[in-house]
Amino acid sequence: MSFLERVDQTIRRSAVWRSLFRQPYPNDERSRAYAVMNNVFLHIHPVRVRQHAVKFAYTFCLGGLSFFLFLVLTVTGVYLMFYYVPSATQAYSNILAIQSEVTFGLLTRNIHRWGAHLMVFFVFLHMMRVFYHGAYKPPREFNWVVGVVLLFLTIMLSFTGYLLPWDQIAYWAITIGTNMGGYAPLFNTPAKLILLGGIEVGQNTLLRFYVLHIMVFPLLAAIFLAVHFWRIRKDGGISGPL
Amino acid sequence: MADTSTPPERRVVLPVDPTRRTEIDKQRVPMSARPYRLLALVKQDAVVRVQKEPDDTVMTWPHLLSIEFLAAAMMSIFLLLLGLFVNAPLEELANGNVTPAVAKAPWYFLGLQELLAYFHPTVAGVLVPTFVLVGAAVIPYVDRGNPTATRPSERKTAVVLFTLFCILGLVLTFVGIFFRGPGYGFAIPYVNTPGLHFAL
Ligand code: HEM
Repeated sequence: MSFLERVDQTIRRSAVWRSLFRQPYPNDERSRAYAVMNNVFLHIHPVRVRQHAVKFAYTFCLGGLSFFLFLVLTVTGVYLMFYYVPSATQAYSNILAIQSEVTFGLLTRNIHRWGAHLMVFFVFLHMMRVFYHGAYKPPREFNWVVGVVLLFLTIMLSFTGYLLPWDQIAYWAITIGTNMGGYAPLFNTPAKLILLGGIEVGQNTLLRFYVLHIMVFPLLAAIFLAVHFWRIRKDGGISGPL
Repeated sequence: MADTSTPPERRVVLPVDPTRRTEIDKQRVPMSARPYRLLALVKQDAVVRVQKEPDDTVMTWPHLLSIEFLAAAMMSIFLLLLGLFVNAPLEELANGNVTPAVAKAPWYFLGLQELLAYFHPTVAGVLVPTFVLVGAAVIPYVDRGNPTATRPSERKTAVVLFTLFCILGLVLTFVGIFFRGPGYGFAIPYVNTPGLHFAL
């Protein structure tokens, strides 16, 4: 037995390993079923899936990658939160410090930024793929509606995050964005006042967008994602085949 | 010396009055010998299943999970490279008194901002976005055609309408991104305006 094999054996036989994984590496159908069923993260999946649903060219992994991006954004976002204060006098210098002083700060910010744009893009693409497959038809009507809510939440997550660096891009993009929405009948002045916390983008706006960005929208998204995934199973798995 | 170690714990299965034994009692075995649970009772339709439904399924592990893992890995590599080589934009400190020459909303709102150039703000900023979101949400309740008709060729109207709508949105966004310069006026990048006026 080679050294590596012996290390492998020792690890697999250790009490810690066996307390983590209750069965050996899943090689037969029964243990493969258990591997999925007994794992809290994997049991989101059924034990078996229909053949066409695992073809890359059916879903293009778009929903799954949207979710993966959501996870990446959560992790990188938490790291950024350690160094960021939502204050009109500090936010910008915090971003500068994140880029120049914080370990992997620049990389983290870059990944968070590009990941966010990519997520919006992928959610759009996912929606298109669902449409072209007619996957919104019964029994999946409601999951489509949940999806539209998720699209809205994704865009709002991106939009509220856009203000946080508190630079000229952020300030004016949010000024224009909120001006556009500020013309709702009933809604206009009060809505803008509530959203901005004032007549123009300022400290109140920054704090509000921050709270929405790191708390309200992520929580809502998590809830709707749970419903979305639950419904996929309850609606009989992935639609198709075409 | 007497054996002082405690005897192994045993589960006692209480005997059931033979006259009242049910189907389940007959199958009863000690819990220790049965590491599974009763999830549901299914009424059997026939002793022999005459026709088994064709099984077109595969195991989730490895068939689905390996693909998911691969997709996540590729995406991670892509994001890592992107993050290493392309920096996120950052301009000067926000200043409400200095309006930049070109002020644009984030790209996903540029279609709307483009509409703002043609229509009243109520239309571009309120009616259209409301219509788009609500319109998208009610698609399944409007398209009440044959639910089994999912091929694009079987639902031409829906596909054509949706595609036209997507193209319209794409064109508007595209113009907003590339062909709008100072003061949000029409401009051809690199020709009559220096470079792109667009930040991600
Ligand atoms: C945060 C955004 C979203 C995430 C993370 C997400 C995730 C997923 C995932 C993982 C699936 C499994 C199949 C696949 O990967 O394609 C799925 C299916 C589905 N999604 Fe989404 N989704 C999102 C947004 C949307 C949107 C915007 C819509 C439509 C308006 C939508 C409608 C649906 C429907 C109807 C299905 C079932 C498709 C089928 O059975 O073929 N989802 N979603």
